[in-house]
Amino acid sequence: MKSGSNLEKILAAGHFAFTGELGPPRGANIEHVKEKAQHLIGHVDAVNVTDNQTAMVRMSSWAAALLVREMGLEPNYQMVCRDRNRLAMQADILGASALGIRNVICLSGDHQQFGDHPNAKGVFDIDSTQLIDTVRRMRDEGTFISGEEIDGLPKMFIGGAANPFADPFEWRIHRLAKKVEAGVDFVQTQCVYNMDKMREWVKQAVDMGLTEKVYILPGITPMKSVGMAKYMKSKVPGIEVPDDVIKRLQGAEKGKVAEEGIKMALEQIEEFKEMKGVSGIHLMAIEWEHRVPEIAERAGMLPRPVID
Amino acid sequence: MSNENTAGVDTDRIKKRLDSRKAKMKLSLAACAHCTLCAESCFLFNARDNDPTYMPSYKFINSIGVLYKKKGVVDRATLEDIRDVVWGRCVLCTRCYCPFGIDIPEMIAFARNICREQGVFPDYEEKGSIHAG
Amino acid sequence: MVKAKRKPLEEIADAISAYGKVLTVGCGGCVSVCLAGGQREVQELNAELELTLKEKGTSKTLGNYTVERQCNMDLLQEMDDMVGGYDCILSMACGAGVQLMAERYPNIPVFPAVNTVFIGVDRDIGMYEEKCRACGECVLAYTGGICPVTRCAKGLFNGPCGGTNNGKCEVSQEIPCAWLDIYERLKGQGRLDDILKLQGVMQWQNQLQRTVVQPKFEKRYYK
Ligand code: SF4
Ligand code: SF4
Ligand code: SF4
Ligand code: SF4
Repeated sequence: MKSGSNLEKILAAGHFAFTGELGPPRGANIEHVKEKAQHLIGHVDAVNVTDNQTAMVRMSSWAAALLVREMGLEPNYQMVCRDRNRLAMQADILGASALGIRNVICLSGDHQQFGDHPNAKGVFDIDSTQLIDTVRRMRDEGTFISGEEIDGLPKMFIGGAANPFADPFEWRIHRLAKKVEAGVDFVQTQCVYNMDKMREWVKQAVDMGLTEKVYILPGITPMKSVGMAKYMKSKVPGIEVPDDVIKRLQGAEKGKVAEEGIKMALEQIEEFKEMKGVSGIHLMAIEWEHRVPEIAERAGMLPRPVID
Repeated sequence: MSNENTAGVDTDRIKKRLDSRKAKMKLSLAACAHCTLCAESCFLFNARDNDPTYMPSYKFINSIGVLYKKKGVVDRATLEDIRDVVWGRCVLCTRCYCPFGIDIPEMIAFARNICREQGVFPDYEEKGSIHAG
Repeated sequence: MVKAKRKPLEEIADAISAYGKVLTVGCGGCVSVCLAGGQREVQELNAELELTLKEKGTSKTLGNYTVERQCNMDLLQEMDDMVGGYDCILSMACGAGVQLMAERYPNIPVFPAVNTVFIGVDRDIGMYEEKCRACGECVLAYTGGICPVTRCAKGLFNGPCGGTNNGKCEVSQEIPCAWLDIYERLKGQGRLDDILKLQGVMQWQNQLQRTVVQPKFEKRYYK
């Protein structure tokens, strides 16, 4: 075991993993974290705790990660390259490991221009692929970026992001390969709506032997409304929403659009369960945490396996 | 005293300017032995296939030298020719070396000063404006 | 070359408000080329200042002068006799020029009249584009001559990220994605291998004030 985290155990045992997402509050309100976590406990294997998501100041991800951990929910501690240099990042990896955090997800982060401090100085000292490499080196080689030895190695299961839908498509698999080379253990993908492209990308990963080295967890976000689908299609960079998805939502009965969205997500999950090279799914039910238990139930994900 | 059409040129002002550095200017012009040694040290001269009109000595003689000889009584066209020399053929990198100790860049800068004072300087808003660099 | 943009008039007027005699100094170098702080811009700025002062019912002595390059002490010193007659200097050069001016005349307040924006290229008259952030460790060799430090919003060394969108960067539909351009160029040259390799962390060289001494001159400056 690289880290001994629950997520690692679940995946290593060959179970179909199920991860969720939790955005820390924009304040020190612990109740808010607890309320969101409540819906996820026992329903997911681990939960991504986002790091100043959308470049808005929030409770720090390591602190929120510790809070959910105390509640019995395993955190996937997210770390973005936007806000920290290599010193702070390595320090936080050590601190998080010391306090029992076992999964880290290495991301570039949304550009600060999107957030509430658009004139902040973006750090971007190292990039997400290099961060993966850094954590792997700390864990496996016991050295910092500088080459100096570490006293007490951090135990981390290393996650990353992948987007099969961004341009150029033919490059996407190579970018995954680079992250694998850097040492990523699992990747969660951008929200999947274009299943054709997804199948093709996963197949490439299988053919290149990448899925022997990395667990792939496709990202699923149920559509709540036609408006949301259209917004995602036109406004969110890197997300591809095919027209037939929008048509299907438009065709739903009045008041049943969200239900249709959930149905589509469930169908996707069913397909992913059978897809070679896919090891689980990552459910991003944005501001819809309270629907997670229902979705998990209907997707046949419950009960979650328990491994000691 | 001169048949130049000096309309639009404040020749008195040029003269006053020239007088302010007369000694140095005179000495510099007299000291130039046309040895062409300064040429080698000018990167523009080298970059322009040793075109003699890029020689530092050529540039200062055809700018401040002209103004001195004519005692500042020049027409606008002459100032514009000087402009093309001191801006178009020199970037004032100040790296040229004269074995007789002439400070060529200072002389070229001096010629630029005089042109500027007369409102003659490169117009970078124009396409294809002179621009030695 | 260095590219700059003039500061808003109010900010400049505010900076000099306490001084009666102001010398506005242009630079004949980069800022002339990018139309921010050359002789013409000096005259324009003084005319604008004159006008606002008049509107406010006050006036100042506004001098103007243009030095060929404010970043060169030899060229700057010709102002020595002139500056004594002024209470402050408004420099229209880039940050380097302003600083050398302030160093030469340490007893006179020197204010910047432009914002120094970047090292870039001329796209057209009046239009300039950033190209380099002087990182001191140029990586253009493996990025097809396209700078990821400057042009990629997240300064990635292993791009393109998942946000690249119809050839544009995720931050704006106006900004081309640097890494897509890098990819296309290297693909065209059959050099994609260059970016298939994992690029290690950058050794930033622009974290301390730097001095360049060319090897030929090391003997002269270092004992
Ligand atoms: S100052 Fe002018 S003449 Fe002298 S070396 Fe530089 S470009 Fe050549
Ligand atoms: S002072 Fe600045 S703007 Fe002027 S020439 Fe030097 S670098 Fe260029
Ligand atoms: S890599 Fe560095 S030196 Fe090279 S162009 Fe980019 S910022 Fe400039
Ligand atoms: S979209 Fe392109 S330019 Fe923008 S951050 Fe991503 S890789 Fe960099």
